[in-house]
Amino acid sequence: MATIEVKLPELGEGVAEGELVRWLVKPGDLVKPDQSVAELMTDKATVEVPTPYAGIVKETLFKPGQVIKVEQVLLTLESSAQGATSQGAGPHGSTVSETTSVATTSAFQGGVHPPAKASGKGGSSGTSVPMGATGASSSGVYPPVAESKVLATPATRRLAREIGVDINEISGTGLAGRVTRDDVMASGGGLTSGSGLVKGTSNSEVGVAVPSKIAPGAVFGGAFVGGEERVAIVGIRKKIAQNMQMAKSIIPHFTLMDEADVTELVNMRESLKAVAEKNKTKITYLPFVMKALIATIREFPMFNASIDDQAQEIVYKKYFNLGFAADTPSGLVVPVIKQADQKSILQLSREILDLSIRARDGKLKLDEMRGATITITNIGSVGGTYATPIINHPEVAILGMYKISEKPVIKNGQLAAQKVMNFTITADHRLIDGAVAANFMKAFLSRIQNPNLLMVEMY
Amino acid sequence: MQNFDVIVIGAGPGGYVAAIRSAQLGLKTAIIEREYLGGVCLNVGCIPSKAMIAATHHLHRAQHDFKEMGIMISGPIEVDMKQLLKWKNSVCEKMSGGVSQLLKGNKVEIIRGEAEFKSAKEIIVKTTGGSQSYQSKYFIIATGSRPIEIPGFKLDEKDILSSTGALALDHIPKHIAVIGGGYIGLEISSYLRKLGTEVTVIEAQGQLLAGVVDPDCAQVVARKLEKSGVKVLYGAKAKGQSKSGSKYDVTIEMGGKDQTITVDKILVTVGRRPNGDQAQLRAAGIQVDERGFVKVDAQRRTNVSNIFAIGDIAGQPMLAHKASHEGVMVAEIIGGANRAYDAKMVPAVVFTDPEIASAGLTETEAKAKGYASLKVGKFPFAANGRAVSMMETEGFVKIIADAKTNIVLGVHIVGPEASNLISEAALAIEMGARLEDLALTIHPHPTLGETMMEAAEAALGHAIHIIQRPLNQSPVGNPRA
Repeated sequence: MATIEVKLPELGEGVAEGELVRWLVKPGDLVKPDQSVAELMTDKATVEVPTPYAGIVKETLFKPGQVIKVEQVLLTLESSAQGATSQGAGPHGSTVSETTSVATTSAFQGGVHPPAKASGKGGSSGTSVPMGATGASSSGVYPPVAESKVLATPATRRLAREIGVDINEISGTGLAGRVTRDDVMASGGGLTSGSGLVKGTSNSEVGVAVPSKIAPGAVFGGAFVGGEERVAIVGIRKKIAQNMQMAKSIIPHFTLMDEADVTELVNMRESLKAVAEKNKTKITYLPFVMKALIATIREFPMFNASIDDQAQEIVYKKYFNLGFAADTPSGLVVPVIKQADQKSILQLSREILDLSIRARDGKLKLDEMRGATITITNIGSVGGTYATPIINHPEVAILGMYKISEKPVIKNGQLAAQKVMNFTITADHRLIDGAVAANFMKAFLSRIQNPNLLMVEMY
Repeated sequence: MQNFDVIVIGAGPGGYVAAIRSAQLGLKTAIIEREYLGGVCLNVGCIPSKAMIAATHHLHRAQHDFKEMGIMISGPIEVDMKQLLKWKNSVCEKMSGGVSQLLKGNKVEIIRGEAEFKSAKEIIVKTTGGSQSYQSKYFIIATGSRPIEIPGFKLDEKDILSSTGALALDHIPKHIAVIGGGYIGLEISSYLRKLGTEVTVIEAQGQLLAGVVDPDCAQVVARKLEKSGVKVLYGAKAKGQSKSGSKYDVTIEMGGKDQTITVDKILVTVGRRPNGDQAQLRAAGIQVDERGFVKVDAQRRTNVSNIFAIGDIAGQPMLAHKASHEGVMVAEIIGGANRAYDAKMVPAVVFTDPEIASAGLTETEAKAKGYASLKVGKFPFAANGRAVSMMETEGFVKIIADAKTNIVLGVHIVGPEASNLISEAALAIEMGARLEDLALTIHPHPTLGETMMEAAEAALGHAIHIIQRPLNQSPVGNPRA
């Protein structure tokens, strides 16, 4: 029998790591080549990681919530020597290396237990147990610093634990590379809330802990025993939190709101329903809004741009990739329609439908969620008159569309019923002035109110 | 059936500390103890042995040093062993009583008896009066370790002793064979020798305290032990014993040849074994390794997620202060805090004469960890005013630092009050201090603590109170270098 290490394969261009959502196999399971072994969260996609080799799972080396880098060993397989080297690197480019059964040096002679070694971190003075193998939950616990060369005071090490950042990953700014309190705060600044301890925290300075990563029920809250539940921030939720925090802290947002008479748009869509049905799809308002948006940002290119903070340059984009926010059971995702300007209303409808369904099922490919140049949020399909959405950084604007309602208006001195839809444009005030946004909105609404214009501008 | 948030099993220095912290956090806590509150440490380990060592230290000074200092005692200095034992026991009772008060004061329920898991959520406690079940959301196993026995030397704690029996002796043995020259064996050897016992240490290795302390430190102690009359047989193995009258013939194999020594007591101190192999853990499904340690992760959580293990049973080093540190940590984890074992080092102390204390890495360990070049500074107590005036000048302080950064990696002390001096070193290492930090901290004069500052200076090449070669190593470096 030989031990095979299965490493994390390349996940896509520019993706260096992913966060383990859950294992799909457990030690003792027999796996076949190409079988999915783990669910990994990268950027905003959840991907299934296959093993290129057959064998019996020996050890899973990470716990849900931990970040795994490409080329790190995910798990080890027990396999016959022949089986171990079948089929080269496999279609996923995974690499494999044979180890002559992991060293059995005692963890008690300053040694490091194999799982800890595999993750490149230190061991503990206690006996280690690969938790993944036993199903016990202490997610998000990185190995002790005892064996690593991290320089930080005990209080700083504790702070890192409490706010849930791996101190080994922080580059210290202090003397001789010391990780300072400020370094830890800076790296974990975002997701903080009340103190870790339920009662009697003597150190109020440390009142910045994220909700503990201990399994639900770990808290006996002061007044109500079991009156709270703590859940680890992992997966999509963690990604959303990080992205929102970043966008909100970098971009000075402002939002402009207006309403449009969509009577003609409603009529146009009604008249096209039959066509859609014949083409076996459904046409919503979104593709029309997309077309109107593209036509308008051609006129106002600063809305289809990014700010390269490092280079201090504005990047104007000559292509039109439209993201649209989709609500899924595990949270917000933003599928992207590439080169939307070159697609017909029918094509857009089909693609929106397909992406929405796969977003809901968590089956989107990473590539289908990247590269947007501007985003539309269609929260109005649920409710609310107006919202102030957060821009999908590094984009500089997000268009909000809201539900259509019938409203009384005065037209030529007469009270009339009119179909009205609200829109918002939220923009990065560093790049876009208020007056520009107002002109943008005006130009956009003129297209929405007179959809025939779209025909004129169609490429 | 009573329900708790936390049940701690074992009231040693790990368990009682975990229980108190749990209670402080507002958790409904119970502690189960089958023998004594305070565990081995307070009752048959650390504390009573320190009492014996302190008493015999005074005896030794009275016998050997007083005359030179001009203190004359007429008549022989005698030891009343019964009184000494009584005093030693009073020390233990005081400490154990203190633990009891602390537990009660924190509203920890103390349950007496032998515990055995029924499931991962329920435990049965057996007493002579019957058995009682308790349920708890969390358990902390802190059941410690026990002395290792070797074949042919069945412990009776009367003549063939573990440390427990040795500490309970109510008379001074004439000749004792000590099997194992580790820290427990040597602590007992040195105080028994001071009481007048003839001591023969049977050590399998070529040196004492092998693998436990810095070899330079061990050598100082070995020399003094032998000077005091303790006989050490190196590379020797105790093969068996036979009783003849009230005495024992111990067969020792050394260099391929057998020899026999006749003694009246035998002390077996070859190490301690964790109690993880006991049946009481089985029903909860807790994984234990082949040495008897409960398998735990960095949070000291076992494979059963609501059960933790701390102290001797959870891994090396088997030291009380490590257990207490883990006890506090685990209680806080149960209380909802995000914690894991993050100590850089566990300091260790051996109460031989002179004492040995260490924190951090030895030179060998530092090299093994990849520190290519080291700065080592050594400062002798003989050059320290306080040590000279105490008439305790044996030993030195040795500081090991990374030559690249001057960050202190390890400190090893052999000498007077080494046990108390080491805490400064422990703090320095945990804080990531550099040699300059120790050297630039004003240490009060005249104290033993000055040796730490001087050793740091020595590592930098310019200690004041010793002559260092090469001379003219400038203490005024280029700060940008």
